[in-house]
Amino acid sequence: MARKLTVVVSQGQSANPAKRKLEEDIVAGLLFERGVEVTVVPHLYDLTPDGTGMLCLQSIPGDMVVLSWLYSRGTFWTLDRNGIRGREGRVMLINEAEEEDEDEEAAADEKQRVLASRDRPNRTIWCLDLKARNDAKPFLDEVVRIRDEQTVQTVSLGGLLGGLSIVTPPTPAAPRIESQPVAAPIVPLQPTIIADDGARRWYPVIDYSRCTNCMECIDFCLFGVYGVDKVDTILVEQPDNCRKGCPACSRVCPENAIIFPQHKTPAIAGSPDGAAGAFKIDLSKLFGAPDALEQAVLERDVELVAVGRDAVGMEIGLPKRQTAAEAVGPKDDLDKLMDSLDDLDL
Amino acid sequence: MSDELVFMMGQFAAKFPTDRLYAKNHMWAQPRTVDGVAGFDFGFSAYAVRLLQDVYFLEWSVDAGTPLREKQTLGNIESKKAESELYAPLTGRLTEFNSVLLKDPTPINVDAYGEGRLFHMTGDGSNLLTPEQYQDHLAAAWKIAERTIKGQMND
Repeated sequence: MARKLTVVVSQGQSANPAKRKLEEDIVAGLLFERGVEVTVVPHLYDLTPDGTGMLCLQSIPGDMVVLSWLYSRGTFWTLDRNGIRGREGRVMLINEAEEEDEDEEAAADEKQRVLASRDRPNRTIWCLDLKARNDAKPFLDEVVRIRDEQTVQTVSLGGLLGGLSIVTPPTPAAPRIESQPVAAPIVPLQPTIIADDGARRWYPVIDYSRCTNCMECIDFCLFGVYGVDKVDTILVEQPDNCRKGCPACSRVCPENAIIFPQHKTPAIAGSPDGAAGAFKIDLSKLFGAPDALEQAVLERDVELVAVGRDAVGMEIGLPKRQTAAEAVGPKDDLDKLMDSLDDLDL
Repeated sequence: MSDELVFMMGQFAAKFPTDRLYAKNHMWAQPRTVDGVAGFDFGFSAYAVRLLQDVYFLEWSVDAGTPLREKQTLGNIESKKAESELYAPLTGRLTEFNSVLLKDPTPINVDAYGEGRLFHMTGDGSNLLTPEQYQDHLAAAWKIAERTIKGQMND
């Protein structure tokens, strides 16, 4: 039997009883699984680099599964920024809205990604998105699948399949331990639980499998968030310099490599597609949501004010509204007749 | 508490104290001067709380001290019934958030007009409504709200 698989449950920020129950059910279910050690931490993204939660995660030696309320990319690269590195494990349980577009990845050009030039420890990190399902069972099944897979040798085919490893599935007939008579009852291990200090954070996370080190972000950001390491690779050097709520550098990144895991727009939060909250009523209009033009003007003003200039509101550079005549199409003979009548100085 | 006005949302009586002003985006606004600077405390009106019901999560997308324009996005909220963005009720400077609500937002439901206070803003409050004007605004808003809720339910 391989060494224990560490499963980290990162709690959400919301007091939504359904979400809390899902976390609790997963932790409770995992305590009875053999070969699994459970650690519960506060919301991963809010953990400070030198806080107890992050130190605890950094001390985990081998393979791990991390369940959090973030898209899996957001989780993986947040861990990476904090020195918790490895290879991204292939997850079968995915958020349906997050289905990767394999065609797009296959069609990717020959750009040099930062990831290709970086050393990674030989361990695997599987990131599960707690938004993917509403009940604990699929998550428990996935952890068990990963635990069993972990004991099977993986064969890497190198660059042939874009670096994917081929995994031989475990023998299905392997008897479940629980079904055998056992000498001693399974005593659940207590999970390691790290307390929450409640502070919220806001900073970008770089996906180095996309980043090409083009430096657009360091040029664009005026708040000194970005820096470079010893070999001139871009990194988020001063995350807490970031302006709360501002995702502007993510919008300018030509590779969509910059993730703000907490942003409302799924594409910025690490997913190529929309997801969360589909079952909720959107009251934004009732609470005074501006229309598209108002929104654009407001966003522009935020950036102007942030750099010490005056907000200009609706006064400058708005698109000219099309006149009714233009909307109707080219002028016909009747229009021309009317125009010529208008031109007569009667 | 002083006098209050009542607006019927179906069977539910939403109450609005008359000791303060209201914003069109369903926040109350109570004048309060901090360090010699006039401003307003803002919180959700009973109308907004009734639509939201139990609040689970509140997040601000700007830092305290940020200058804002009316309708600028401020943050977002998750509740039993809804998810919504939140918007600035007036143009001015947001000087302070009630940070207690970030850890535990229940005061919004328990004491909407007191401990459920959301934030403090300085700025021009001339567009704010009197309780009577807010009542008139609600009469129109409620029709749209009913349509929105029913429409989205049937999607």
